[in-house]
Amino acid sequence: MNKGFKWILWGILIVVLIVYPRLFGIYYTNILVEFGIFALYAISVNLLLGYTGLLTFGHAIFFGVGGYSTALALTHIQGLPLLASLLIGFLSAVLFALILCPMVVRLSGTAFAMLHLAFGLLMYVVTLKLRGITGGEDGIGGFPIPPFSIPGIVSIDMTDPLMFYYFAMIVLVICISFLWFFTKTPFGQIMVGIRDNADRIDYVGFKVSHSKALIYIFAGGFAGVAGSIFALFQNLVSADEFSVLNSFAPIMIIMVGGIASFFGPIFGAGIFALIAELTSRYTERVELVMGLILILVIMYAPMGFLGLVNMARARFFNKEGAS
Amino acid sequence: MNILETRGLTHDFEGLKVITGVDLQVAEGERHAIIGPNGAGKTTLFNLITGTYTPKGGKVIFKNKDVTGARPHQMVRLGMGRSFQITSTFSRLTAFQNIRMAVLSKRGIRFNIFRFVDKMDDVTRETDEILKRINLDGERNIPASGLSYGKSRSLEISMALATDPEVVMLDEPTAGMSVDETHYAVGLIQRLTEGKTMVIIEHDMDVVFSLADRITVLHHGEILASGAPGEIRKNPKVKEAYLGEMEI
Ligand SMILES: Nc1ncnc2c1ncn2[C@@H]1O[C@H](COP(=O)(O)OP(=O)(O)OP(=O)(O)O)[C@@H](O)[C@H]1O
Ligand SMILES: [Mg+2]
Repeated sequence: MNKGFKWILWGILIVVLIVYPRLFGIYYTNILVEFGIFALYAISVNLLLGYTGLLTFGHAIFFGVGGYSTALALTHIQGLPLLASLLIGFLSAVLFALILCPMVVRLSGTAFAMLHLAFGLLMYVVTLKLRGITGGEDGIGGFPIPPFSIPGIVSIDMTDPLMFYYFAMIVLVICISFLWFFTKTPFGQIMVGIRDNADRIDYVGFKVSHSKALIYIFAGGFAGVAGSIFALFQNLVSADEFSVLNSFAPIMIIMVGGIASFFGPIFGAGIFALIAELTSRYTERVELVMGLILILVIMYAPMGFLGLVNMARARFFNKEGAS
Repeated sequence: MNILETRGLTHDFEGLKVITGVDLQVAEGERHAIIGPNGAGKTTLFNLITGTYTPKGGKVIFKNKDVTGARPHQMVRLGMGRSFQITSTFSRLTAFQNIRMAVLSKRGIRFNIFRFVDKMDDVTRETDEILKRINLDGERNIPASGLSYGKSRSLEISMALATDPEVVMLDEPTAGMSVDETHYAVGLIQRLTEGKTMVIIEHDMDVVFSLADRITVLHHGEILASGAPGEIRKNPKVKEAYLGEMEI
């Protein structure tokens, strides 16, 4: 793909994002926000799963920590600016990742996955128990949503769904672009090296545990951002964010979208959002449909949606070459 | 001067004594072959020297430093390269990306998250030069898992050398190769290790005699003999240990 074409694609994307609310109205705009949040969340998980080969059953920890710390900060700190509340979500998740690092970086495979399952359950229970801080089952809701303001220049009301949409999209696109860049750096090469052959990484002269720690911190921090935006979006956080289901959601999104590509999780999040929307018109049992789709993907398209696209493309071009 | 030494090195696996007091001495610039029957402990000795395992007893001295118990990445950074008996490349990465990994490491590029790796022209150039030297430029963009056996062994050996180590440890580099492939690999090793210290584990005695200027014979985790190829050939103890096993 040449450079000019890429810029045109970017241009189209931006124009579409700008006019989207006018074309589809606020209901579908909110669906797009949710899609974007889960795309970022799934991408952060895919840094571990697809890039580094680390399966985690507890990434909701970071999503939840991001959400709760933003909600708590806005509840307790008067006049906290919007971006600061977001930053608090990010940094809290980073801090959590730092705390867990020493325990998890030496692990991989089943141990890594199960330890996270345990941490996730722990967080879920603790959140329910620490009623005084977390609001228990009710969660924390109705905290003030500050406007996006640059003092003396602008102040944009973030309780306006349209404005919040623009804000969320800008933050999400920036985060996702940053993570894309992250995978293209020399360090990104070390990530895929760890996935392919962690032992050899040592003999090339890189320290696996330090490298894993850095990836883990990034994956945690950006899941925190996703959780933080989700909290602002809903004006509510609840213990469900720490639930096992919320840890599995990004894994399912990745499987359906395609594990082997940076953009797979974005497609996966899109497909899930679409299916959730379509099925919810006919049935309450959205999970049932999701489950069936996941089964189909695992059986017949293990590389997910993008895997299918690539296969179709290869077939198409091969035919062209033959004729 | 000895660039690499082990002193009274011992190791066991849950009581199974595999290395029992090995004093290996490798002089700077030497091409040192380690031979010995299957299960003699050759690979284990490499694992103890390169940091895979921490020895249960004894010392490893590298460049006059006690490096006993150092981790593999530390040994690499100190200037030791290693290849494996069983090919251990990055299977889903291309030949180019495999070599580039070592080139990045050699240049100390570790936690760089600020630049596109594909746009690091000097890294790309150096990697391509290496690929050319090892005759893998035609397979530049093929995943390591898709290379022929001979080529994947070349890649394995070259990755140990692409960090530009002072001492390179090759564990049976020609294992499983055809006669032609072996012949080619010997030439490659000669070219790539010029001016470096090399320790090579090898079963093929033709390879040993064409590459090594010193031979250590390992048997049941002990050094049976160590000396110039001519001495080893005549050594009665060696002959006895190898009785019927190998033509010397
Ligand atoms: N990780 C391990 N755990 C238990 N036993 C081991 C381990 N590694 C090696 N051994 C045993 O130690 C002994 C020496 O093995 P080693 O691989 O060092 O031999 P080698 O000289 O390299 O043999 P070969 O020529 O077959 O490669 C063997 O009996 C082997 O079974
Ligand atoms: Mg061996």
